[in-house]
Amino acid sequence: MTEILQQIINGIAIGGVYVLIALGLTIVFGILGIAHFAHGSVSMFGGYLTFFLVAQQGYPLILAILVALVVGMVLGVLIELLAYRPVRNANHINAFIVALGLTMMVEGINLQFFGAEQVVIPTDAGRVFSIGGVTLPELRLYVILAAAALILAMTIFVEKTKTGQAIRAVAENRDAAILMGINVQMIPLIVFAISTALGVAAGVMVGSLFAIAPGVGEGLVVKGFAVLILGGLGSIPGAVVGGIVLGVTEALAAGFISSAYKDVIAFVVMIAVLLLRPQGLMGRA
Amino acid sequence: MLEIRGLRTGYGAIEVVHGIDLDVNEGECVALIGANGAGKSSTLKTICGLLPARDGQIRFDGHDITNRKGHAIVQAGITMCPEGRQVFPGMSVMQNLRLGAYARKGADIEEMLDMFPILRERAGQAAGTLSGGEQEMLAIARALMSRPRLCIFDEPSLGLAPKIVAEVAQTIARIKAMGMTILLVEQNSLMALRLADRAYLFEAGEIVLEGTGTELQTHPEVVKAYLGH
Repeated sequence: MTEILQQIINGIAIGGVYVLIALGLTIVFGILGIAHFAHGSVSMFGGYLTFFLVAQQGYPLILAILVALVVGMVLGVLIELLAYRPVRNANHINAFIVALGLTMMVEGINLQFFGAEQVVIPTDAGRVFSIGGVTLPELRLYVILAAAALILAMTIFVEKTKTGQAIRAVAENRDAAILMGINVQMIPLIVFAISTALGVAAGVMVGSLFAIAPGVGEGLVVKGFAVLILGGLGSIPGAVVGGIVLGVTEALAAGFISSAYKDVIAFVVMIAVLLLRPQGLMGRA
Repeated sequence: MLEIRGLRTGYGAIEVVHGIDLDVNEGECVALIGANGAGKSSTLKTICGLLPARDGQIRFDGHDITNRKGHAIVQAGITMCPEGRQVFPGMSVMQNLRLGAYARKGADIEEMLDMFPILRERAGQAAGTLSGGEQEMLAIARALMSRPRLCIFDEPSLGLAPKIVAEVAQTIARIKAMGMTILLVEQNSLMALRLADRAYLFEAGEIVLEGTGTELQTHPEVVKAYLGH
């Protein structure tokens, strides 16, 4: 029983990372209908940048994360303006190709600036808490809390603020949103800024929990899309539920079956869910 | 208030409106009638900035608004209640209404709920779960939330049961009685002509006839082709 609880807690930590990645992907998909493949690589860029600031420039971790988040927002705006906006009214395959090219470009930039070495963001969070036989490393606790705070902030932003409501309106019906007086040219910029910042946060979590290395970003974006499909395309609650389900499934599979097969098992569960609910867990039929 | 001169518009290679002149004066209710595909809805979309004008000019309050961005046109005081209602289906009735007031400060939803009591009953419900008639009321209320000076209705009775159509007609008459300037496109020509002070008849992208609502109701050509008696 404690073993199951232990794996569930591990799963929630990694699930939180998946949720953040998937939230970024889902709001971009909801607004622009773009599969933003470069998201994982951009997220790794944020992780690398945080590592660089902490390990090589001597920044305190919190400050480094804040700088990386702001850089992430600017990067997101640039990606929308320079990469996706020019092909917005073109055939969908064009945006698809831009997304692939952008992934290669960002991976190249990461390699050029930060090298091919695996890096781990150093933190002071080394304590381990133990509650009734279940161990909770301090760092995992912070990751879970930070992910929860970001998810909550995102939900409040979308449901309660005027800009958040405008984003939802554009996702639901773009022409009607124009008739409400919403500037639909501005919305994608805001969406990309938020999406990239969430991605950077996920990158920092991956970089401190595990490690960042070339190729990690691509793996992460595949998981992000898996979560999106599992939860229901374009749905924010779906991304949250889907991310946690995928994280916990993986952790349970790794703990009780084999860590080598954890991805396979996670995807089998995903396929099984989709056979029963083709629209995803929280998707509308 | 609204002056359109020589307007041409269309989709892709196809031009659907071939240079029309049209006026709406302050406080007036003007109807555009004509067959499906005659260019009425395209004209409305062009006024609202959803479809680019290819030639001609649209002036509102003396200002040129031709090909301005859609949100700027809403800010100028024109709003449209679009064909097919186009409510935000996953959002609640209240959220839909608040979005209606997006372009201005404040939102006096209470006033709107008094005017449309059914929306008060449905306030927390997702707009997509409302009946067609309720959605139409929501779309009208949402349009009024922006406090427009010109309110455009595109096919408000489309796809609604006859009893609901009568209700929609009454609602528009009420809005007109409040002094709102209205531009109305409607397949139900009789309903449109009864509501309208003046009307234009569209045929194949051109205006072929213009007159008061009562004049057109008795005009032999209109009676034969559109009123069917």
